[in-house]
Amino acid sequence: MNKIRPLGTLALLAASGLVLSGCAGTADGADNADASAEATAETVELTFEYNTAGAEEEPVYEETTVEVPKNPENVVIFDMASLDTWGALGGEVAGAPLESVPEYLEDVLAEDAINAGSLFEADLLEIEASDPDLIIVAGRSAALYQDLSEIAPTVDLSSQGSFEDTLERNVNFIGEVLGAEDEAQAALDELSAGIEEARAVTADIGTGLSVMVSGDSVSALKPANGDFSGRNLRGGLVYDVFGVEPVLDDIEEATHGEPVSFEFLLEHDPDYLFVTDRNAATDAEGEQAAEVVLDNEIVHQTTAWQNDQVVYLDPTAWYIVFGGIETTQIMIDDILSITAE
Amino acid sequence: MAVAAPAPSSTPTRSRDARTWVGVLFGVSLVVLAAVSLFIGASSDASLTGVIAGDDGSLFLLAASRLPRTVALILAGAALGIAGLIMQMLVRNKFVEPSTTGVTEFAGLGMLTAMVFWPGMALPLRMTLVALFALAGTWFFLRIIRFVPVRQLVLVPLVGIMLGGVVGAVTTFFAYRLDLLQSLGQWSQGSFANVMRGRYEFLWIAALMVVIAWIAADRFSVIGLGEEFATNLGLNYRRVVAIGMVIIAVITACVLVTAGVLPFLGLVVPNIVSLIIGDNVRRAIPWVAGLGSVFVLACDIVARVIRFPYEIPLSVVVGIVGAGLFLWLLLRRRARAH
Repeated sequence: MNKIRPLGTLALLAASGLVLSGCAGTADGADNADASAEATAETVELTFEYNTAGAEEEPVYEETTVEVPKNPENVVIFDMASLDTWGALGGEVAGAPLESVPEYLEDVLAEDAINAGSLFEADLLEIEASDPDLIIVAGRSAALYQDLSEIAPTVDLSSQGSFEDTLERNVNFIGEVLGAEDEAQAALDELSAGIEEARAVTADIGTGLSVMVSGDSVSALKPANGDFSGRNLRGGLVYDVFGVEPVLDDIEEATHGEPVSFEFLLEHDPDYLFVTDRNAATDAEGEQAAEVVLDNEIVHQTTAWQNDQVVYLDPTAWYIVFGGIETTQIMIDDILSITAE
Repeated sequence: MAVAAPAPSSTPTRSRDARTWVGVLFGVSLVVLAAVSLFIGASSDASLTGVIAGDDGSLFLLAASRLPRTVALILAGAALGIAGLIMQMLVRNKFVEPSTTGVTEFAGLGMLTAMVFWPGMALPLRMTLVALFALAGTWFFLRIIRFVPVRQLVLVPLVGIMLGGVVGAVTTFFAYRLDLLQSLGQWSQGSFANVMRGRYEFLWIAALMVVIAWIAADRFSVIGLGEEFATNLGLNYRRVVAIGMVIIAVITACVLVTAGVLPFLGLVVPNIVSLIIGDNVRRAIPWVAGLGSVFVLACDIVARVIRFPYEIPLSVVVGIVGAGLFLWLLLRRRARAH
């Protein structure tokens, strides 16, 4: 799909300024008012491993250290997890890929927030014109680092190590930038308690299989098994973070998990089926919802279906954002909901 | 309406006996591959012994999952082969089929249109819309190639591929803007992994088109001789072309909606058949249908076995094998021309 990128970029540039120049969610700058008042020349330093290889290549890491201003006024965030944490710790965002910001995070956006592009591409002209003090990228947008770092101090908060490691580093970093270290620590403590609680629940539920439904096909997701790069990290969250025992441990992974037939589900017959509905996550209207795809006579024979143990995960949280303070809480609640019923 | 077979571009040199023998080989392969296809699957529950013993689980899987998939493969293979054959007759060119003439891309645009404007559209309606787009695509292609000299053998598919490229780019552009790129990739990738009872029945409509093609076979043979010749024989040229266009469009739409795109199949199958038995459409139809089924069944078995219990998309296997054969046919012709 790489071949369409240049076309897409052109289109995006051409359409910039026309689309959504002043259409943001409501936000009040109250929290931010005193933060910016005490803005000084203070800086926070962050060292991170920046991946210099292309999106589809073996990652090549280069250690990069960036100094960012404390309490920056004008922040552009491409990574939804960072945007989540930024908002949860009292910050306000001046620019983001507006169309990709999930509803529950819209109040993080400033009233006049600019549309910075999409999750994968930056509207460089618009961003440069807005003269930001800090730009945050990660994961999907990590490839934009080079271009964006020429505009303003840019940090790449892509995952490093496990989900928990990344969450801790990013929350602490953002806490420090916003001068909200204590709130950051409190949030981390609460989340790790929540994850512990969820793990206690999943310890006795038997086996599980995490699947993604996309279009009308089903893919099996696999545990990260120590390799927390890119999609591995996201696909494995159910097992790696929340302790679900995989029904088989050699699930290979293609682009979006391994395509499997319905027979595969019946053959391995996990006690619990955790479903991420990609159609819903990306708003592919007209695609069949995961419920409809799975509602067929073969899946009806599985243990998970018969015992009503098909768990539909919040697609935005698990597929788009997966990280950040509020989102992690949603993920914890999804797992805890198993016992609530 | 008995019409002599048009002088085939490549005179079959095999004797009648040899042809019969090849026919028997196709028949046997079809039966064997269908049987193998029935007993390959992620679930070990549907074993041959289980079915013979009348085990409930085995019979259920056989009826709900295995049989529909095998039948779907046979129908899709046969129909795509026929769509290619008819298209080659209408265009009087051996190198065309829906995926080299932009028809498939038009159908894809129809699919996207349905998704964007009528997301909740019932499946039969969506299929109809896709078929209408495919029909428009076929019509458009036939209009365009009127300007291409018939003798320019390679120019015709080239024009078609370019037309397909333009329409495909338009589709990709809108899919990109509307964040539907991955969905587009999903359904343009041919796969029968999710075929089960209740999910493949459109292919019976494609099978009906095959029957219609068979009934009208001789007319297509005449069409293959050119408009003037056909009209001189008292044939309503436009009506036959219209029937052909509908057959192609409906088959393309049925297969696209059910399984996705299977490239080159409609191209290589009729060509191979023509090498064996010549260009008489009536005689070719059962051969094309049979060989198309054998081809798709074999490719699907490879797709299912290569990474068992996971599957690779069928379109990948069909694409690789089909492209290889396409190249071979192309080079073979060039070699003769010199």
